[in-house]
Amino acid sequence: MAVYRRGYSRYEGALTSQRSRLLVLPRFAWERLMQQRLIVILFVVSMFWPLACAAFVYLSNHMDLLGGFGGGGVQDFMKIDAHFFFTFMNAQATFAIILSAFAGPSLIAPDLANGALQLYFSRPLSRSEYICSRMLVLIGVLSPVTWVPGLLLFFMQSGMAPAAWFTENWKLGAGIFLGFLLWIVLVSLVALASSAYVKWRVVAGALVLGIFFVLAGAAELTNAVLRVEWAAAANPARAMDQIWRWMFGLAPIDGPGVLECSIAIGVMAMLLLFVLERKIRPVEVVS
Amino acid sequence: MKLGRREILQGISGRLGVSGAGKAIGLLGPNGAGKSTLILTLLGFHKPASGSARILGFDCHSQSREVKARVGYMPENEAFIADMSAVRFLRIMGELSGLPPRVALEKAHEVLFHVGLGEARYRPLGTYSLGMKQMAKLAQAIIHGPELVILDEPTNGLDPAARGRMLKLIREMKQEHGISVVVCSHLLRDVEEVCDEVVILKDGRVVHHANLEEERRANRRFVELEVSGDDRNFAAALREHGAEGVTEGGGRWRIVLPPEVELDVIWSLVGRENLEVYRLTHRRDSLEEIFLKAVGHIERTAGEAAAKVEEVTADGRL
Repeated sequence: MAVYRRGYSRYEGALTSQRSRLLVLPRFAWERLMQQRLIVILFVVSMFWPLACAAFVYLSNHMDLLGGFGGGGVQDFMKIDAHFFFTFMNAQATFAIILSAFAGPSLIAPDLANGALQLYFSRPLSRSEYICSRMLVLIGVLSPVTWVPGLLLFFMQSGMAPAAWFTENWKLGAGIFLGFLLWIVLVSLVALASSAYVKWRVVAGALVLGIFFVLAGAAELTNAVLRVEWAAAANPARAMDQIWRWMFGLAPIDGPGVLECSIAIGVMAMLLLFVLERKIRPVEVVS
Repeated sequence: MKLGRREILQGISGRLGVSGAGKAIGLLGPNGAGKSTLILTLLGFHKPASGSARILGFDCHSQSREVKARVGYMPENEAFIADMSAVRFLRIMGELSGLPPRVALEKAHEVLFHVGLGEARYRPLGTYSLGMKQMAKLAQAIIHGPELVILDEPTNGLDPAARGRMLKLIREMKQEHGISVVVCSHLLRDVEEVCDEVVILKDGRVVHHANLEEERRANRRFVELEVSGDDRNFAAALREHGAEGVTEGGGRWRIVLPPEVELDVIWSLVGRENLEVYRLTHRRDSLEEIFLKAVGHIERTAGEAAAKVEEVTADGRL
């Protein structure tokens, strides 16, 4: 029967599982994000560097294709090691920030601006599930530009290089996955907290970029003025850089060590979660 | 229930809807009485400082997921996502309530036609008029087929035609679909039209709980009297006969007659007090009188009550 003739009837059939409902909000959000031209363009642009890296990996394993250019210096340059993946991760981490600055603010700000949270929370959806759902959106958007191409490169190299390479470098694969996962969680928290804090999408997007770039500048300034080094830990990119170096077994850079940087990232994450906890509420109570 | 240091709800106890499903309960009270806070507490949005509440047999706090699965809620203020079409919005709400994706899509169309938004279902919600937004909010509250629907000021801002449509939908919900309804409103007429029971709140306390049908059956009459002359002793004279009266000033009186007292008593008292009658109208006890008595306006002294009565305007709005 045509729907306009059917009239209303109460649904009394089986309900979906609680776990599967966690994916409802991400599914609709991904669909909306992929309808935005800017997000698609950014997404495509962020694939260029992994493609270039894939070509690099291929060439480094087929040096004969370089003909006369395959000298000793070039061979050293073309070496696929921790430095190569570390450089790859730094570039993709920047793309992750930019993508989250554009994709993140549209996740919570419209819900807050339009009072939609009380509709969500009047259903069997808790605040933590809502935040997890929103975070899943960003994890879904950022994964294809971070750890997925990273692991693809790693396995591509493993497949092309002699078997010993994998056994010697398997920690790199784990580092790529865990390092990026940590970065995605941090970037997502920044994007979600910004989106929850300011309610306006454009300002929230600017705030995401501001947190990363202004904090970096502020940390450098503090170090220079107070003639200290510890302030570098307040720069999330710098702190994560140190942690990745430790994961990849690279020499640490001067300044706060991996423990201090981990604590700084942890404190930052706690602060962002606190902002979300305060802001994501079905009704605003003015005391 | 406390918000900050302020106690909003206190000592509320009672059972509602005991007469079965498909009933409508009106939640009445002046502004700030705690109606919305009570609803939000029942929905688990606020944590009560003490006590417990159960909806459909489930504890509102510890089993809030079970409660929310069976309840539909239409909030008072605007609540939607502006750049989303009504169908899409309802699909999300349906799926979050546990409907399978395909069923949610079907139900979204079905419910939107039901509330009269069928032709506008693909338009962004931000472009809807206030009346359409109210209907969209009602649609999201019933898409998953709840057993209980809580409507917070459902007729707010609606023109008479839209208000009539909304009240008709509420009546249909309870009569044809067996959905219990809680209507939170300060529009007495709306509550009177659709509700079977009323709970009146004042200063965070339940001051009256009435079965409207029984109240309507009770043959208590409400008299409006306009007289000239010295009516200072008239209130006392009324009390002698078990009637309650309050003056609004200028010789205007509102009197509640108990069932055993006939209207003739008024005439004899008017004669005894040498008053001249300009107007006398009488009708059965209405929700307005129940409300006025419940919130204490009729029991107060004549001067206080007169000032308070002005809060109720001709259309029943507080």
